[in-house]
Amino acid sequence: MVSIFHIYAQQQNISGTVIDKNLNEPVIGASIQIKGTTNGTITDLDGKFAINASKDDILVISYIGYTTQEIKLTGQSSLKIELSEDTQALDEVVVVGFGTQKKVNLTGAVATVDKKVLASRPVTSVSQSLQGAVPGLNLSTADLGGQLGQNMNVNIRGTGTIGKGSKGEPLILIDGMEGNMNNLNPEDVENISVLKDASSSSIYGSRAAFGVIMITTKKGKAGKMQINYNNNVRYSGPTNLPNQLDSYRFANFFNEASINQGGSVIFDEETIGRIQKYMAGELAATTIANGNNWHFHEKANDNVNWWKKHFQWAWSNEHNISLSGGTEKIQYYASGSYLNQNGNLRYGEDNYKRYNATAKVNTQINKYVDFNINTKFVRFDLDNPIYLEEGGLLYHDIARMWPMMPFKDPNGYYMRNGKLNQLVDGGRSKTHNDNIYMQGQLVVHPLKGWNIYAEAGMRIINQNKQTNLNPIYEHDVNGNPLALAFSGSYSPGASFARAAYLNSNFYTTSVYTDYTLQLKDHYFKALIGMNTEEYVYRELSAQRPDVISSLVPEISASTGEDKINSSKYNDWSTAGFFGRINYSYKDRYMVEMNVRYDGSSRFLRDQRWNVFPSFSLGWNVARESFFEPISNIINTLKPRVSWGMLGNQNTDSYYPFYLTQSVTANGGNWLMNGGKPTTAGVPGMVSSTLTWEKIYNTNIGIDLGMLDNRLNATAEYFIRRTKDMVGPAAEVGAILGTSLPNTNNAELKNKGWEIQLNWRDQIGKVNYNAGFNLSDYRAKVISYPNASKALWDADGNTLYYDGMTIGEIWGYETEGIAKSDEQMTEWLANNDQSKIGSAWGAGDIMYRDLNGDKVVDSGNSTAIDHGDLKVIGNNTPRFRFGLSLGADWKGFDVQMFFQGVMKRDIWLGGPMFWGADGGEWQSVGFSEHLDYFRPENTASVFGANLDSYYPKAYLGDKGNKNKKTQTRYLQNGAYMRMKNLQIGYTFPRAWMNKANIQKLRIYVSAENLFTISGIADMFDPEATAANGFSNGKTYPLSKTISFGLNITL
Amino acid sequence: MKKNLLYIITLAGALCSCNDFLDKEPLDAVPTDKYLLTESDLAAYSANLYDQLPSHTPGQYNMGVFVTDNNSDNQAASNPNSSFVKGETRVAQSGGAWDFGKIRNVNYFIDKVRPRLENGKLNGTEANNKHYLGEMYFFRAYIYYTKLVALGDFPILKNWITEDYETVREASKRRPRNEVARFILQDLDSAYYYMKETPPMTNRLTKDCAALLKSRVALFEGTWEKYHKGTARVPGGPGWPGANKDYLKDFSIDIDSEIRFFLTEAKEAAQIVADKYSLSSDYPSLFNSQSLSSTSEVLLWRAYDASLTPAVNHFVVGYIQRNGGGNTGWTRSMMQSYLMENGLPIYANNSGYQGDKTYESVAADRDPRLEYNTILPGELLSEGGSNIEYLVNGYGYYYRAPIVLGQNENKCPTGYSVKKGLTTDAAQGPTLPSTTACVVFRAAEAYLNYMEADYELSNSLDANSGKYWRALRARANMDTDFQKTINATDLSKELDFARYSGSELVSTTLYNIRRERRIEFAAEGLRLNDLKRWRALDMMQGYQVEGFDLWSENYARYTTPTPTPAADVTLSVVNLIESGNTNANVSAKSESQYLRPYRINTNNIAYNGYNWNQNKYLNPIAFDHFRLTTETEGSTDYASSTIYQNPGWKIETSSLPEGD
Repeated sequence: MVSIFHIYAQQQNISGTVIDKNLNEPVIGASIQIKGTTNGTITDLDGKFAINASKDDILVISYIGYTTQEIKLTGQSSLKIELSEDTQALDEVVVVGFGTQKKVNLTGAVATVDKKVLASRPVTSVSQSLQGAVPGLNLSTADLGGQLGQNMNVNIRGTGTIGKGSKGEPLILIDGMEGNMNNLNPEDVENISVLKDASSSSIYGSRAAFGVIMITTKKGKAGKMQINYNNNVRYSGPTNLPNQLDSYRFANFFNEASINQGGSVIFDEETIGRIQKYMAGELAATTIANGNNWHFHEKANDNVNWWKKHFQWAWSNEHNISLSGGTEKIQYYASGSYLNQNGNLRYGEDNYKRYNATAKVNTQINKYVDFNINTKFVRFDLDNPIYLEEGGLLYHDIARMWPMMPFKDPNGYYMRNGKLNQLVDGGRSKTHNDNIYMQGQLVVHPLKGWNIYAEAGMRIINQNKQTNLNPIYEHDVNGNPLALAFSGSYSPGASFARAAYLNSNFYTTSVYTDYTLQLKDHYFKALIGMNTEEYVYRELSAQRPDVISSLVPEISASTGEDKINSSKYNDWSTAGFFGRINYSYKDRYMVEMNVRYDGSSRFLRDQRWNVFPSFSLGWNVARESFFEPISNIINTLKPRVSWGMLGNQNTDSYYPFYLTQSVTANGGNWLMNGGKPTTAGVPGMVSSTLTWEKIYNTNIGIDLGMLDNRLNATAEYFIRRTKDMVGPAAEVGAILGTSLPNTNNAELKNKGWEIQLNWRDQIGKVNYNAGFNLSDYRAKVISYPNASKALWDADGNTLYYDGMTIGEIWGYETEGIAKSDEQMTEWLANNDQSKIGSAWGAGDIMYRDLNGDKVVDSGNSTAIDHGDLKVIGNNTPRFRFGLSLGADWKGFDVQMFFQGVMKRDIWLGGPMFWGADGGEWQSVGFSEHLDYFRPENTASVFGANLDSYYPKAYLGDKGNKNKKTQTRYLQNGAYMRMKNLQIGYTFPRAWMNKANIQKLRIYVSAENLFTISGIADMFDPEATAANGFSNGKTYPLSKTISFGLNITL
Repeated sequence: MKKNLLYIITLAGALCSCNDFLDKEPLDAVPTDKYLLTESDLAAYSANLYDQLPSHTPGQYNMGVFVTDNNSDNQAASNPNSSFVKGETRVAQSGGAWDFGKIRNVNYFIDKVRPRLENGKLNGTEANNKHYLGEMYFFRAYIYYTKLVALGDFPILKNWITEDYETVREASKRRPRNEVARFILQDLDSAYYYMKETPPMTNRLTKDCAALLKSRVALFEGTWEKYHKGTARVPGGPGWPGANKDYLKDFSIDIDSEIRFFLTEAKEAAQIVADKYSLSSDYPSLFNSQSLSSTSEVLLWRAYDASLTPAVNHFVVGYIQRNGGGNTGWTRSMMQSYLMENGLPIYANNSGYQGDKTYESVAADRDPRLEYNTILPGELLSEGGSNIEYLVNGYGYYYRAPIVLGQNENKCPTGYSVKKGLTTDAAQGPTLPSTTACVVFRAAEAYLNYMEADYELSNSLDANSGKYWRALRARANMDTDFQKTINATDLSKELDFARYSGSELVSTTLYNIRRERRIEFAAEGLRLNDLKRWRALDMMQGYQVEGFDLWSENYARYTTPTPTPAADVTLSVVNLIESGNTNANVSAKSESQYLRPYRINTNNIAYNGYNWNQNKYLNPIAFDHFRLTTETEGSTDYASSTIYQNPGWKIETSSLPEGD
């Protein structure tokens, strides 16, 4: 809003003050320019300026972070200009494929990200900040949980293809070129658009079948140089650690479970006696001697909580500086950042460092030609203990550690079961990764409204990874070192140095032109162009055993026999031609049409090219004259509809048509001539008909703005059909001797909706805002070649069948736990359970016979004949939401951000859930697990427990009968997590002016402060993934508290 | 207009060059049509198949092949063998022996290489190329032999097939087991023809391996058909399920001539090997040497090397060194089978047998193989002391079997610890990698195969049989007069199930041939197949597995341990808690003086003993295989499959065999 004060006279000299509307304080360094000229000035420390101008000139007042204003001079000599912060106004421009568009004219489903979700978040990647920010943009934790260097899994509107031979990831574009958002500096981000439907993403054709995330980075603006520095210091630790039992309870739990299995006790009385003494402080030694060695498990008596032992809280920090500014002809933006993130491993520290440098220069060479150049450099150094990779079992092992396994032996040396030697002394895995992005753009404007663009971009990744294995030692009773095997694959004393190099090159060129024409009420815009991409990848990994000295862990300082671990060389390319036409009448009726003609190197010539069209329509109802009477209540009302078809060429194999011979040098374990022979395997099958997956997308949306745009709402409904989807290979009789190749054999249909609501207002001096978004989708299999509707294939993988809902969980219905043998016998009379297990008795599960044949079974495991199995749940996360609340007052600001899932079922298997599972080496004991069935008059030290949660504990396979997928133990995976809480204070300008500071904010920002969830206590609802082992065996996610400041000079 | 035209021309040009731009072929992998053309290709492809031969699996924490016989009456593990317990074996949903992956693997090679060999299109030494083709015939025979044992009747698949439903259905048709066995013998003849006497690389197959396997397969089929004759488990027998299939309705068989054919083949093939290979004089060294390259008796062995990256080693030695555990132990039945050194059975008059109250007495004057195979107190286990309970001057000795130790993997459930494979090298001690060679094929089997086939054919022993038998005994350093043994044998005093075929006792001569085989190949994994082909499990009813005599004297080793020889060591007292008490760790004294490992805890599935169901002589075929071969795709009429189920089993997931 602008207030203009008239003072009599028509002078040439105009002076004025620019102030911040909210803070009522001067804005320093704001640019004042006379439109259409190069004349301009900037405000001084008091926000004052003076400029010569004539009447009818237009002054353009702009400043970073504020809405730019234009003031037409009508004879004033003194101006007071109030700048308001650049909030999401409706006239904002949205970045779309190969251009921008006024939001008001948008007809596709495009969501923009509120930059606030990125600000001052103590996270390591942009993707972590985006979780929950945009409805329909789904981010989930990767299998390795919070381990450093992990990227989140991303999809838009759910899985569109199911990862059998093809991928359905969104295309991520940074300044128009494919890039990695995980190592981008969040401070460089200017704008993020998420293109969700076919009409908005089809301009990218086959690369964008499952949506696009477009990230635009900041660029310089003409004006005085701005220097911005911000930092934060963080302290983070695990969100959730299981409560491991103490040794005494653990020993008794294991002993009882072992007896129930039919075995004998694991811990004898003598050991249990020692455990009690040790816990009571009457004994100092953690174990006893076993000959010359120490006992390290069933005779040991330490009392260690291994989870707490292995994970700790750690400090990290981040610094960021940027400079920007420029003149009318040339503008620059440059930034640098440094992140030093420490992981939560207490032993064998883990660390991630990232360095970013950016330079962006925009020049207007002359009236017709602009030239822009954009470079980014990202380096990260990831330093982990080698045991996280080479043994690969750490999280599996931590779960399996018994509390009595000694942390240190009585002489003070680490003992073997804690894997401490491996972590601390076993060697490091250091990844050094450089990303270089270089982009150049030439824009020619031959006529008004006509632009021609020529762009070239290149992204180079060079990574070297140095891994070394050091010999490790345990110690005998006399303190003599004994070489210890690092893992099953290495003999004691083994060492090696390994170097792996990879190099990937991505090249892209685009040439396109657009032409805009406004004829009275008719607006036309046309775009046509072409684009090519090429990707080339090389990798080499070599190693040499027998490192001479652990201090020089290099191949050149090793003496063993050389080995090449891997060598790869591959490439792909795409080419596409595209066009777009926009038409709108009076900004009321909008039409858009896109077409893309795309070719991919992954298909043979006859299958290679395809046309992907899309259309969309929109109607700005609120601009109609009949709407006038209520236009002060409803400012925007825009229904829109779109349809489009896209192709997915993202097959896992770059050459899916070529049958290649797998040959492994030194691959054999059957030694010949004294060494490992080269081996070759039998080739599988290749489909001769593989082609594009075709995605048909229909979107209906509505935008609503009300009450002076204080309330903004958007709703979307979509149907996405994936035809010719590459599904799981169909079953075939075993006689074929191999599985069928992946082919386009399935059709999938996703249906879903998204709602976003934003409210923004002020009460007195308090500005506040609230945002809420909610989304949901369900995917159904329309067709799949599985005539007998089998539920699982021979390896237990889920098969599709017509009409199946993706994510469904089949299981039994649980009656309960039998409290006595009599009760079980009575139950079995009408619910014969002999087909799913034997020796049923008190404490075992009673399953319900659902089909009335008095026998409980799974029939033949088909959807037609499934016996007593039924669909008991669905593991697709439903109703994902994000909720943000914020307010500011006199420089103080508070922001909260919640994210969650309202409905989800999860079946959790394995010992982290069950406790007693596959024998003593595969079982765990947490305090929750003690709630297992113990009969009346039990000899157990824990006493009877007839109303237990868990059935009778068996240390071994006899318990499997009680662990069938069933209703009783199905977990509720819904959760709400406070992702971020921020409290900040911006110092009043008046104070800062003296120090020549434009802005200074200090803040406290916390991540993952608390979580509300119904899932079993030992699990984090976001990190239940299996990671090759059973559920929950992963690196815990972290909660973080940080302190930071943000200063602008 | 001009501009538009220009644009179209540019576009068209771009499109043409685009197709070149988009033509990408694999850069780092060999297409299949450029492979299997040279000697080294053939060698590499075939090397990939060796892993399936029985041997100590690298990296596995167990006692390797020496625990395979836990599946029989020779040895026992902490947990019973569930296939001997009723109600524990069910028709699986999927998987099982009805698997053709490896067969396809071999057929691919033969389809490609044989024509290339015959047309002279292979590079390299021709003899070597032939050898590798021979290996493939050997492997196909070996895979088919495992199918024959597991399932009996089986499809004979010599080529690649296509994936269309009808082809799959057609190819899935089972052929009667005698045809399958003949097909295996044919392949072994081809293998023998192509392979060399000395392989192109060490630790690879030779033509004599083919002859040895041929005698094994032929003997298996000959004796199977002989002893299972008259059951549904032999083609053409009463209730044979193949008779219900159209495609086998004209099948007929002269079973006796088939039996003769196979036994004759077995005998001839065995002789090729037996006459060529002498027995090694040092029996234990066959199992505990680092290398067997200069051991005359060994046809094929597997080598290990812990210094490679990743290491290729096993952990067999460590388990034995650790007080003789490893989750296995000899049964009382096994220990009783050993003769005296003088050739007499233990119960014979004047045999000199001292009873089995102590370790000393049970071993005194017995067949030396008893001591080669069993650890006795006072024996040196290790030249180091890691994780061994009885140490003198840093050396580890055996004192008592770990019968009550908590962990199954370190237990000896019977009290008689297996010694086969023991070397006292401290570097291969508990938890450390072992690299002892693993014997895969040795000539003694040919000797025994010959003797058995000879006797089964003629009910008498020819001169060769006598010669071979004496050679086996002489090598074991015991009395060679087998006739003395035969004469003194009283089957009613033997515990061995192999004294029966079906429910009939066999002749004392045949029984002694079987006894010789049991002793010679103890812990080498042949036993269960022998019991099956002899139909010797029928009488396993209410059978309690027993170990050593615990309650007469041996219990004192646990309750009041006294180091012998006297040494400055303290042995921990181990409380023996009899079955019936909480935390019981041994069976009750009142029940038997012998340790009964499955009668300690009433929760044990074999608490009431082992009971064999004849239907388990053949495995069931998993349900899915029928579902995927029904007459109409997706039909629930599973009986319309081209596959038929084995006798006594149903086409129904999780169903039990008849009689369980």
